[in-house]
Amino acid sequence: MNPPALQIRTGSRSRPWLRSELLLLGVLIVESLVFARTGTHFATVGNALEILRLSVEIGLLAVVMTPVILTGGIDLSVGSLLGLCAVCFGKLWRDGGLAWPVAALATLGIGGMAGGLNAVLITRLRLPPLIVTLGSLSLFRGLAEAITRGVDNFTGFPPSFLMWGQGYFGGVIPAQAPLGIAVMIGVGLLVHATSLGRSLRAIGFSPEGARYAGVPVGRQITVVYLLSGVAAALAALVYVARVGQAKADAGTGYELLAITAVVLGGTSIFGGTGSVFGTVLGVATLAVLRNGLQLSDQPGELAGILTGVFLLTVLAGEMAFKKYSARRVASGMLQTSTASSKPASS
Amino acid sequence: MKLNTAHLIPDAGVSGSVASRAESVLRLTGLTKSFGAVRALRGVSFDLKAGEVHALLGENGAGKSTLIKVIAGAHAPDAGTLEVFGHPVDRLDPATAHRLGIACIYQQPALFPDLTVAENIGLRLEPATAVRWIDPVQQKSCAVEWLRRIGAEISPDSEVRELSMPEQQLVEIACALGAGARIVIMDEPTSSLTQREVERLFAVVRDLRRQGVGIIYISHRLEEIFALADRVTVLRDGESVGTFPVRDSRNQPALTEAELIRWMVGREVSQLYPPATGAPGDIVLSVSGLGCAAAGVHSVDLQVRSGEILGLAGLVGAGRTELARVLFGLTPADSGEIRWRGRVVRIRSPREAIAQGIAYVPEDRRRHGVILEMPVAHNLTLAVHRTLFPGGWLLPKAEGVLAGEWIGRLGIKTDGPQAPVGSLSGGNQQKVALGRWLVTKPGLLILDEPTQGVDVGAKGEIHQIIRGLAADGLAVVLISSDLPEVLGMSDRIAVMRGGTVVTVLPGGSTASAVMAAALGQPPDGTGV
Amino acid sequence: MKRYRRELSVTACLSALLLVLAVVAPAFFGRQQLLTTLTAAAPVLVAACGMTLVILTRQIDISIGSQFALCSVAAGLMAKAGLPMPLVVLGAVAGGAALGAFNGWLVAGLELPSIVVTLATFVTWRETLRWSREGEFVKDLADGFQWWGLGQGRGQAVILMGALGVFLIGVIFLKKVGAGRFFYAVGSDREAARLAGIRPAAVTFGAFVILGALVGVAAVLNAVRFADVDPKTGTGLEMQVIAAVVVGGVAISGGRGTLWGVLVGVLLLACIAPALVFLKLPPQWEKAIQGAIILLAVAADGEKGKSS
Repeated sequence: MNPPALQIRTGSRSRPWLRSELLLLGVLIVESLVFARTGTHFATVGNALEILRLSVEIGLLAVVMTPVILTGGIDLSVGSLLGLCAVCFGKLWRDGGLAWPVAALATLGIGGMAGGLNAVLITRLRLPPLIVTLGSLSLFRGLAEAITRGVDNFTGFPPSFLMWGQGYFGGVIPAQAPLGIAVMIGVGLLVHATSLGRSLRAIGFSPEGARYAGVPVGRQITVVYLLSGVAAALAALVYVARVGQAKADAGTGYELLAITAVVLGGTSIFGGTGSVFGTVLGVATLAVLRNGLQLSDQPGELAGILTGVFLLTVLAGEMAFKKYSARRVASGMLQTSTASSKPASS
Repeated sequence: MKLNTAHLIPDAGVSGSVASRAESVLRLTGLTKSFGAVRALRGVSFDLKAGEVHALLGENGAGKSTLIKVIAGAHAPDAGTLEVFGHPVDRLDPATAHRLGIACIYQQPALFPDLTVAENIGLRLEPATAVRWIDPVQQKSCAVEWLRRIGAEISPDSEVRELSMPEQQLVEIACALGAGARIVIMDEPTSSLTQREVERLFAVVRDLRRQGVGIIYISHRLEEIFALADRVTVLRDGESVGTFPVRDSRNQPALTEAELIRWMVGREVSQLYPPATGAPGDIVLSVSGLGCAAAGVHSVDLQVRSGEILGLAGLVGAGRTELARVLFGLTPADSGEIRWRGRVVRIRSPREAIAQGIAYVPEDRRRHGVILEMPVAHNLTLAVHRTLFPGGWLLPKAEGVLAGEWIGRLGIKTDGPQAPVGSLSGGNQQKVALGRWLVTKPGLLILDEPTQGVDVGAKGEIHQIIRGLAADGLAVVLISSDLPEVLGMSDRIAVMRGGTVVTVLPGGSTASAVMAAALGQPPDGTGV
Repeated sequence: MKRYRRELSVTACLSALLLVLAVVAPAFFGRQQLLTTLTAAAPVLVAACGMTLVILTRQIDISIGSQFALCSVAAGLMAKAGLPMPLVVLGAVAGGAALGAFNGWLVAGLELPSIVVTLATFVTWRETLRWSREGEFVKDLADGFQWWGLGQGRGQAVILMGALGVFLIGVIFLKKVGAGRFFYAVGSDREAARLAGIRPAAVTFGAFVILGALVGVAAVLNAVRFADVDPKTGTGLEMQVIAAVVVGGVAISGGRGTLWGVLVGVLLLACIAPALVFLKLPPQWEKAIQGAIILLAVAADGEKGKSS
């Protein structure tokens, strides 16, 4: 009855991201093999754990950016918010006299509020996420600079706090690694195993379609931007614990790294398709690149350049694929019409 | 019984003689155009003379819009020839059509909302060359002149976004005239105009005719056709029923409205549709005085019983989809009362509608009805997440069972529950859109154009499904522009016009009776 | 005048700020102070003229800070190599146009989202520059470079005249030249523009190229104020420029806005930093205020879009 339907179905795309993930895994392996030859001490367990230790902050931001981009949105403010949360934490602990766990909790609250500000502007006023978070990027960084008066640098945190960024469990496992992995698993479950994750995809594919299906679009978009804010605060805490100081410029440019990792990981910038696993691979690819170039005595800027080039290449490839499959669907529709139309009566 | 409304408007058809001696400015022969499974035009021939108003008449979906889009160059025909001013034209795109002097005034004006009226007219009249000076003074005076010519009282400095729809249409007309169009297509130009604006527009049209412009005029208002047109071509199911002079040689009406209606509707409904079974049960939904200003719906009174199919008929723009959107909470009502199984309820969002047991299969299947990129199974369960996944965790097994069950029950032809809906044929996509709501076990199902763009076989299947649902006690509201479908499927037919339900006809009413009510004509006996 | 409500309200804000300054800190209006404030704002105005075109067509470019740095360093190197100033200007403009064309090709040609494209070029150009210069300033420039070799007073005058010239050409271009209207048309309704015989992709591409070229001009106008060229120059320029354009009333959804509004927006934001100093407020608040102003401005647009 409907042979064209079968013709279009040839390439099963029920998990279209799987392909890009495999590709990325290949890139990661090739990259590692190259650096294993060129880099000194690259292929050691210690270095692998060091890469893990250094990529937790970007990882947190990127993993939580995944559901944001799945809804077809974007959050450019996470890097600035990291900076703001870092100095807020420092201020609360040093000048506010709070114990660091209390200050940390308050910092998470601040992150949530900042994410809530984005969410309200996006859902209530129906403003494009791009411009809202571009504005809040400036606002958050500006507030961080205002709080520190541009020069203040919070240091001297207690060892019990620094341990979360510099310590090792059993002398081997970086202390922040379990935290990063827990968030990764949590968000992975949220995106892939819950009803919320499913509706986020529906919103990303078609916000109107989701609304017609009874999905509370505004509420769910609010959730992802709130999560993004909290994740930035968490990343700020890990950052401060790792470097031992909180300055206003903390996390500058992190939003770009996070977005790049997500897009490299196969999540469509137009929303709908993507996976947290892909994002994790994206983070790993970028982290290995940076670390490997460093151990191979290459300039650090090369990593930045390659990051930008990677991002553009992946996007252009995605668009080319999209156009190609759109053409295939169009030609498929043509077949449908010829197959099912009856002869014209005159 | 002949209805003659031509005397209502003076100056009708004065230039009928001009039309007969003029040469054809536009001639179409054997035009064919398909969209997917739908054959919108099947060998239509049409000609337009200079100085003629040629009306194009037909039901919704008869092919009028497609025909004018072909003439305006927006659609390329699959087959057939096109001659403009006696010269055959192979490829017609919007720019070429523009150059040849063809202007089309769509119902939804193609203006720039952010620019002023003068700037809009300037952009359309002046050549689209990058290197050239714009003289704002001259541009404004030009705009003022053209607006004056059509008698529009619109400031050239106002932004188009601030104009009402009829004002925007007048700006469109000014653009068309200013561009020196020799062929002007007007797609229901009076649908949103007041009587005074209509009269002014008619004066403009007659003026154009005197200047030898050929005008293709589309309207559902029959009295306008008698008042304005020289000839009328009736389209039905993508074919031309025929072209008829509106007046005879003595300038007397050569047609009756009843004849036109009969030609538009065609044969009365045959037995293609499954028969009704069983008697309707209790009233499920009852609305009184329902209105929503934003949706343009007002004072709707309507009851729907379980086990009944209530047809909702009306022309495009009569407010059928808008009423459905109000009932489903997409544009919540701001006046009136909704009673659901006897209890007064408020429906402020689709979630609340779903919670009551109201389901809505929207008209635009690809944008609203399904999510094309998502698998069949995910689409089928999207509206029942709360009951299917009580803890919020996806249960792939339960989902698979449910999806498999409904794929089987509805006969959805797919490679499997994980195939994206976009890979299915139109009819099977529609079954998924329907299935999503049947899964919710609704008490009321609103179907908006359920068989639009669906091939003939699947259409029959969908009709069987709908009839079966009603037999199982579901209340169904069927919105369809396919008049035979409404007549064949419905137990009762509510007819809408101007944002409200004007009458509810019993099942077995004639197409002519429904059409007459939809057009706002008094009921007419000759069509039976 | 309903149409220019935004321009008028921003002008009112600026007037209020100036009035407060006139009362509290008349020194703000000292000739030298005013000249310094305005010459610092001149490059922003020039870049904002280009950004207006891009935003009018419903796109955005956040890579201009990096473009600016590349053009500045290129201009410095050309001047150091002994090229005459007109050629230096021309070279910087051509370089900027080429960078803009690359963005334009990706956005208009490949139909990629402009935000991500320019985010990627932003980091790529910046890192490329860091790699090649390693933070090193371009020093020992030719005598004719700083202040065009005219001395500070006349140099400042040339900068102001240049920026004003670009602005006025922009005003005339958008208002009086056929092509200017295309940008409004494409941003207002792409499909209607196509039906009116305009090629939207070409217009979008053109907007990015013009923006790039103007960033080149801005880079030169900025660079000549100093004795040597800092390769980190232009950091955060994109935010200043986008803020000025959005505050000036150019709708981020395209199709609406005037350069006069942008001019007022540039002046308003340019006054904030010196005003903070003169009002004895901590200058570190500048960025935060800037961000808050952007959010307020877009929120106002959102409210208006909803009501209409």
